Amino acid sequence: MDILEELAEIVRTRPEQLKEQKDNGIKIVGYVGRFVPEELISASGALPYLLCRGGEPEPPDAVIPYMLRFMSPYSRSQIGYHLLGIDPVVPMLDLIVVQCSDCHESRLADLFEYFKLPTVRLGVPQDWRKSISRDYYYKGLVRLKQMLEGLSGNDISEEKLKESRGSLDKVRGLLSKISLLRKAQPPSIGGDDFIRLNHATFYCDPEVLIRKLNVLYEELQRRKSVFSGDAPRILLAGHVVGVGDYVVPKLIEDSGGVIAVEFLDEGIRHCAQNAKTDGDPMGSLAETYYLRMTPPSIFQPAWEKRIEYIKRLINDYRIDGVIWYELSFEEIYDLECSVISKVMSQMNIPFLKLESSYEYSREAIGPLTTRVESFIESLKQRRN
Amino acid sequence: MMVKNAYEEFLRLTGFEEEEMAEYLPEWRKASEKLGLTEEDMRFAVQERLPDHFALELEGIRKLLGCFVKETIDLTKAGEYKQRGTKIVYGILPAVLHFYYALKLTAPERIFVSFPDIFITFVMNSFFHKLAPYLEEAEKTGIPYGCRHCALNKTRYAIRRLGIIPSPDINWIWGFVCDEGPKTDEFIQLYHDPEWKTYVTRLPHDQPLGTVEDEVIERVEYLAAQMKDGFESVQKEIGIKVSEEKIKEVIDIWQKYAAKVSELGRLMSADPQPLGAVSGRFFWEGLFTPFNTGIESMDKALDITIKEVRQRVSNKEGILPQGAPKLLIYSMHPSVPWIAKMFEENGVGIPLSEFFVLTKKQLRPPSFEDPYMAAAEGWLRTSGMVNPGYQAEQICEKMTTHKVDGMVFGLMDFDRWLGSSHRLLARMVEEKTQLPVFYIEGDNWDDRDYSPEALRTRIESICEIMKMRKA
Repeated sequence: MDILEELAEIVRTRPEQLKEQKDNGIKIVGYVGRFVPEELISASGALPYLLCRGGEPEPPDAVIPYMLRFMSPYSRSQIGYHLLGIDPVVPMLDLIVVQCSDCHESRLADLFEYFKLPTVRLGVPQDWRKSISRDYYYKGLVRLKQMLEGLSGNDISEEKLKESRGSLDKVRGLLSKISLLRKAQPPSIGGDDFIRLNHATFYCDPEVLIRKLNVLYEELQRRKSVFSGDAPRILLAGHVVGVGDYVVPKLIEDSGGVIAVEFLDEGIRHCAQNAKTDGDPMGSLAETYYLRMTPPSIFQPAWEKRIEYIKRLINDYRIDGVIWYELSFEEIYDLECSVISKVMSQMNIPFLKLESSYEYSREAIGPLTTRVESFIESLKQRRN
Repeated sequence: MMVKNAYEEFLRLTGFEEEEMAEYLPEWRKASEKLGLTEEDMRFAVQERLPDHFALELEGIRKLLGCFVKETIDLTKAGEYKQRGTKIVYGILPAVLHFYYALKLTAPERIFVSFPDIFITFVMNSFFHKLAPYLEEAEKTGIPYGCRHCALNKTRYAIRRLGIIPSPDINWIWGFVCDEGPKTDEFIQLYHDPEWKTYVTRLPHDQPLGTVEDEVIERVEYLAAQMKDGFESVQKEIGIKVSEEKIKEVIDIWQKYAAKVSELGRLMSADPQPLGAVSGRFFWEGLFTPFNTGIESMDKALDITIKEVRQRVSNKEGILPQGAPKLLIYSMHPSVPWIAKMFEENGVGIPLSEFFVLTKKQLRPPSFEDPYMAAAEGWLRTSGMVNPGYQAEQICEKMTTHKVDGMVFGLMDFDRWLGSSHRLLARMVEEKTQLPVFYIEGDNWDDRDYSPEALRTRIESICEIMKMRKA
């Protein structure tokens, strides 16, 4: 079986595995957002589970009786499946850690709590350049550590944290190597597969994962690309491609393009930011997560730095065009889109904004397909 | 009514004295031109908008409207102030206005403070129903229509684009209950005006439901530190030092004004309801929005209004029959004044806006001497600024205090902080009070999508239900 398929199978059967583990007394900790350090959860002996589903219209709609309609369909999805009774994992979670960096996440946390789910919030101040904000996040992590220790009954020792971080750093390192293969034209792996691969890494045992990623990396180096030599190279940017939200990435690649690199805030491992290892382990964990990653859109200031990063990606990955994938009513990304679009126009880089409310009915897919195909076609013509 | 000089009549209806005309008429004409207001707009205000929605027979209300007109005139002169070397400081709602006022009181001639979007939005829509050109300007130049961005943010951006206001020396923007507000400043700076300099003060919303946030010392301290850090940065930026005594002086002024506004609120709760909800609503802005022209005129108008309304209460004079049902509404904005009127025409009062009504705890003096701790504590006592669980508790207290028959949430579609929790709050409040609680989808600043025709059925149904319950 293909490694990607094997990993997909592991992801599909993850809820059953979690159930077994829970029956054996292992705590399961769900988490929302990239500022919740997965290694901290693992170091406590609990199993982390990223809540990051998306791509279907019904779950966000199920939340409307409890939340403003004009909120992110992604955030709403994280509880929407549960409200519909079709989320096998949320009911068995021993704790749900929700990062609170914006209104969408904070309201999601409110709903989890309202529905009596065991919820804890991790405050993430947006004014990240201030020392008081950094301290705030650090203190939040320390409280989270204590809570995880209380929940699991295990101390999170320096040794355990180091071990857990070591495993994840290996995963990040391998993903980074795989991603770099996409600098080739045509690349041996496209963005659709790479995003799915990323997702899979959140739901696999790290040791199994590291073995499989090593094999995959070897294979990809030898594998013949399925993309054509003149496939336009796309940078896919935006907030998040949720687990299950694969229509747009697939459509881009089915239309003759290849996603050479992504610039997403959530649902993807930020490979370039392996944890610092020196000094106070909690302090370095806080610094790594809060300061060393490219700031998310909600941080302030952020966009200038993000634009610089996008420019670097465009250059390094020889990008032909940028597709901005935006989820409806995500007001901050909508503003950022205008700023980036203006910069792209100045750089003469074609830019396409796609907005989704996870409505992928036949009626919705038609115009979406036309837009993506036209964009890819125009990129091909530019190349010629 | 035939109006010979609509500009002059407008000023008259908004409380300007005859002896003030020589000074203010040319200024108002000039300001109107800058704002894009025509003589026809002036006639509309004089003949329809103002008499339809405001109790112009009351001197206090006329004076109140006049305060907003004077402030708007002043705002259109911000560019001139800047040329003369006055330091310009902007902010946005919601913020603790003490710090902005303290700046102003420290150096009245050298500082101009304003929350420009508030005055432009209120005056343009409440008096003229003409905010749309600003919103459209923003929508066609980078803040798309489809995402339901806040009208205040669009307006702030548009008035800068159109040259109505200059870049400030510093924007001190609070993102305590708003992500979009501060990010709009980043947008303006990168997209349109590199001179648009901003200092941002923020607070994560990470408290469990029901936490009494003003009693969590660590949280009060963090917020106080954020406020202090912001205020010191602003002072440094503009080169003016404010003493802590000045902040305390402002807190004192605010407390006195708040007590008076609460008295008006108490009178508004009388049965029969003595005054339409729109008329006096602007007084509550004085609690949250700094006036560069000073709070004194607002204070005087408030004194007059209290006296006039007290007389009405004593005469049992009301805009609705005695015993009419009354609802607490989350926030009624005069920018869309027909909503309150539609309730009142259907026999139901919405005399008070929850957001602005103060709880007993809010009226208590602060527990801290330190002005930053006091301000932070005050902020965390405010229902809209805290977690929905604590907010629901405060709403229930207000419903009891003002003896309302139910509550209306919503009309805050644009607001992903304050508006996003309304459906949840509606459930919590209904569970606690067992009183009817309603939710209306709409936009308090901008009625382009939610016209009277669109909301009439909903409002009429709510009123029918309330009347049947009370019958």
